[in-house]
Amino acid sequence: MPYEFEEILETIRMTEIEHFDIRTVTLGISLRDCHDRNIEVTKQKIYDKILRYGKNHVKNARDVESRFGISIANKRISMTPISIPFDSCTLEEYLEIAKTLDKAAEEIGIDYIAGYSALVQKGMTNGELEFIKSIPFALSQTKRVCSSVNVASTKAGINMDAIRMMADVIKSTAEKTKDRDSIGCAKLVVFANAVEDNPFVAGAFHGISEPEVVLNVGISGPGVVLEAIKEAGHVDLQQLAEVIKKTIFKITRAGELIGRKVAERNNVPFGIVDISLAPTPAEGDSIADILKSMGVEDVGAPGTTAALAMLNDAVKKAGLMASSSVGGMSGAFIPVSEDQGMIRAVQVGHLSLEKLEAMTAVCSVGLDMIAIPGDTPVTTIAGIIADECAIGVINDKTTAVRIIPAYGKNVGEFVDYGGLLGKAPVMEVRKLSCENFVGRGGRIPAPMRSLTN
Amino acid sequence: MKLNEEEIRKITFEAIQELGSEATPERIKEAVRKKIGETGGGEYNFKKGDVSSGRVILTSFGLNKPGIVAGVTKALGEANCDIQDLTQKLMGDFFTMIMIIDISASQKDLKQIQEEISKIADELKIKIYLQHEDVFRYMHRI
Repeated sequence: MPYEFEEILETIRMTEIEHFDIRTVTLGISLRDCHDRNIEVTKQKIYDKILRYGKNHVKNARDVESRFGISIANKRISMTPISIPFDSCTLEEYLEIAKTLDKAAEEIGIDYIAGYSALVQKGMTNGELEFIKSIPFALSQTKRVCSSVNVASTKAGINMDAIRMMADVIKSTAEKTKDRDSIGCAKLVVFANAVEDNPFVAGAFHGISEPEVVLNVGISGPGVVLEAIKEAGHVDLQQLAEVIKKTIFKITRAGELIGRKVAERNNVPFGIVDISLAPTPAEGDSIADILKSMGVEDVGAPGTTAALAMLNDAVKKAGLMASSSVGGMSGAFIPVSEDQGMIRAVQVGHLSLEKLEAMTAVCSVGLDMIAIPGDTPVTTIAGIIADECAIGVINDKTTAVRIIPAYGKNVGEFVDYGGLLGKAPVMEVRKLSCENFVGRGGRIPAPMRSLTN
Repeated sequence: MKLNEEEIRKITFEAIQELGSEATPERIKEAVRKKIGETGGGEYNFKKGDVSSGRVILTSFGLNKPGIVAGVTKALGEANCDIQDLTQKLMGDFFTMIMIIDISASQKDLKQIQEEISKIADELKIKIYLQHEDVFRYMHRI
């Protein structure tokens, strides 16, 4: 037999028992040729183009799913940051575009379409200013549209004016979607060093250096890693890194195969594999559980950051070995609301916002899906975003903030979205003010690290 | 026999030259199709085809009882699937069986065979997975 008995059973165990799945196949579509002086024509062009490339996306992904016996959890679409091709639009027109995107996503049969985005790390055009103002309206009046704004980069520095605006946008989005636990904020990401080929919604967009259309794949599988670590028993850290690497290597290979097949069926080029351990609300599909299995009592204990750093690094190394098209975030995600272990750690007081922030310095994204009291001042939210941007800019890595100031809620209460977004406990935020700092406005200059030429 | 890409490219260039200024994508396609028909190339799939093998791996497990192998192989035989390899292990009351099957001669596609097999799995109250060989090749072979 060309395969060992154990090899075959290992694959079956990963796919059937340990929740190994392809987290997302994301079709990136350029909308740069869709602008027209007449907004109605623009809308029609956008709708037609998304449907032209995306109409069989879901069906093709399902075919590949059954062929290889590996489930694909999400089928999604990302687009050119909307503010770029449609820079001359007004707030009302941007809103019209958002509704068009929502309609196109519904027609194709996908849950989220991402790329209602802008890149303003160095400054804003008039169009981008209008665009950012439109975000709360777009997120509250559509169901499927996801938005992201890049406000800082290692090359450009940290745009504090943009951060202030985004803090306002977050607050306003929370209020406009208060009937549904401020769900709009769960679809809004503020980035530093955003990547152009990230397949993971809500932060996905189709970067400006990307081709006409491309298919990127996001792989996950915390359950698989958890079981491998448990099975390894008490080994030293080098051996543990080896165990993680071997496991990730295999699932990355499988992920790339699936991505290439879906791309082939859609007749579009294959882009990248993003191997990111991302939890889901399902029991056992948790990053917190991995950290605990590595030996910390609970997430938040001293040693947590080191364990996460090692996990993140092992994931990256294995991904690099397994595929020559690794991209996106590639590492470990630590969203609170989507991870049962994280939720429990917050509830019993083991995990604070400050410890989470430290963890984001070594993981692949940032403060993700965190609920804070609804009365948190705008300037404090801006301060949280600025801190996170500083970590990203100085360390030359992507960081993001997806924070939910839960309207009318306080510490101890929950926001509950069900499904993939999960449920987040409202976390305590320091009452100290940073108003005079963020209120200065302007831009924190690019760090030493930017001068590499 | 299928034409290779090189030959098709040559035919396409010839067609473009013959058509000269009248060449449009549609007309070239038409001319190339005709030419391929003449040279006996038969139908050529213009889209890049699936070059991987037609082999799938069947894995089944459950409580041991009489008739499992018979049930599975009967369905495979009816679908004209060729069993190329088979191993089986018993662990206490549990059995595991793995088969490598070539389905390229079958009149049914993988999805239809999966549906047939899942009916049998329900009848016998066991689990059967049918996956294309590539996924194992990618995961366990470099």
